[in-house]
Amino acid sequence: MNVFQYFSANSQQILFLTQAHFLYVLICVGIGSAISIVLGLIVSTGEPNPNRFSFDWWATGVREGSLLITAAVLTVPSLALFVLFLPITGLGVTTAIIVLTVYSLYTVLRNTVAGLRSVDRAVLESARGLGYGRIRRLLTIQLPLAWPVILNGIRVTTLISISIAVVGSIVQGPGLGQLLLTGITRIGAANAFPQVLIGTFMCLVVAAVFEIFFAIVQRLTIPRGIRV
Amino acid sequence: MSETENMIVLEAVEKVYPGSTSPAVERLDMAIPRGEIVMLIGPSGCGKTTTLKMMNRLIEPTGGRIILDGDDVTDVNGDQLRRKIGYVIQQGGLFPHYSIADNIGVVPKMLGWDKNRIKERADELLHLVGLEPSTYRDRYPRQLSGGQQQRVGVARALAADPPVMLMDEPFGAIDPITRDRLQDEFLEIQRTVGKTICFVTHDLQEAVKLGDRIAVFGTGGRLAQYDDPDTVLTHPADDFVSDFVGGGAAVRRLSLLELSRLELHPIETDAAAVGNRNGTPVAEVDGSGRPVSWRHLPDRDAATTTLVTVPLSGTVYDAVDVMLDGSASLVAVVDDEGLPQGVLHWNDLVAGLKTRERGA
Repeated sequence: MNVFQYFSANSQQILFLTQAHFLYVLICVGIGSAISIVLGLIVSTGEPNPNRFSFDWWATGVREGSLLITAAVLTVPSLALFVLFLPITGLGVTTAIIVLTVYSLYTVLRNTVAGLRSVDRAVLESARGLGYGRIRRLLTIQLPLAWPVILNGIRVTTLISISIAVVGSIVQGPGLGQLLLTGITRIGAANAFPQVLIGTFMCLVVAAVFEIFFAIVQRLTIPRGIRV
Repeated sequence: MSETENMIVLEAVEKVYPGSTSPAVERLDMAIPRGEIVMLIGPSGCGKTTTLKMMNRLIEPTGGRIILDGDDVTDVNGDQLRRKIGYVIQQGGLFPHYSIADNIGVVPKMLGWDKNRIKERADELLHLVGLEPSTYRDRYPRQLSGGQQQRVGVARALAADPPVMLMDEPFGAIDPITRDRLQDEFLEIQRTVGKTICFVTHDLQEAVKLGDRIAVFGTGGRLAQYDDPDTVLTHPADDFVSDFVGGGAAVRRLSLLELSRLELHPIETDAAAVGNRNGTPVAEVDGSGRPVSWRHLPDRDAATTTLVTVPLSGTVYDAVDVMLDGSASLVAVVDDEGLPQGVLHWNDLVAGLKTRERGA
């Protein structure tokens, strides 16, 4: 069978896997981004006062610490990380989701921290001068202004996650990895090559769908005054 | 002066930054009278901005008391306090993601005004600062020039009608021509709103032009002199102030004093006034009322004296320049339309220039 014949013979299964792949990435990036943004908001406070121990010190410590840990996680080969979780959570979707979520933390966290800090000091000072408290300032001024940067982080994380999600199939995770892994382990055998080729192509389709999704989200959520 | 005639009173207010041994502001006593503009000026690092920011507790003082309109606000909630005090900074600090109307409405919104009232207030204030509401209310800050943004900054500070405004070098980053216009408009606005204003600047010209009083800060947060602009220029309290004001203060004062602030001698344009006994000079005017020559001068020959004019918006320096240039011992001061408003004599310069109360 050539690629087209294989596709038409197995189209239902392929579409199911593609859909599963999309949802798998969506769920993990969704959870990961929510965690990262909330964490970023909590720890992104002002510079700590060198002479007084306060919340700012604690926040700075957590911020730098969590950036370090999430960055370290990102350097662990994905294959290894999925396997390392096996003894704890076993084979299946749970492990796959946990690992991919952990992978998605760093970029969004880093962009959240950077975005919140890039907000013009004059804007923050005038907000304070007008009587904005800390939380109000963070949620109504800093977060909307940092949002384009944060959203970009989510977008990058999503693209990375689409390829890492493939590896999730070695712990029997969902998605196109099942198709690709079957093909790769049987390379040279019948239908192995079409499986790899179609798996790769459908990953690109998933990426394209996400890109369209993000273009719409961007349009809808970035305030008009700061839209480029 | 009773307590409530002063809008802001600082009592022995002090700020020592952590990790620093010398105070940024040193036991400062200062009273800012209701409805006046007080200019804080001094070299960088003199504590003028720190002093300003302690008034709304953006910077917490390490000692002393701050009294606002008779109430001790040293320990009240800072955010609540700041909503009752207007605040304008150098770069405007407008919120880029809010429309102009929303920017102006931020404080009223926090204070719980209803939507329609906030909208009306924004339009009213845009009008006050010279921006057409229908054109500007729905724009965003980045669509405005620096000068326009600063106008909106002032409107935003005025939104909830606070009795006090604090301004931290609001016109510092604006080009000189626009700055001059903004200053004029600012005085115009102040005539209608009559706020108590504290204004940090590093520009002596600006301090003299805008201030009812000037507070000159010395290094280390010491208040070196606190007086009306004339006194600061002509009678500096100490060597530091006279150094700061600069050499040749008497001559410099000429270029700082605007003619519009002077008590001018009257001028007549009616031919019937010729030969009057009260010594009022009479000018001959053209069809549109502009003076062209002297018809009568009380103490000299009108025919041989050139009539020179200087605009009311100029300074005494300009008037002197015109007089020297035309070898005339008096000059007619004219308004924007060229209509005569008064006369300045050469002798006035020596006899002492009389300034009048602003807004009179």
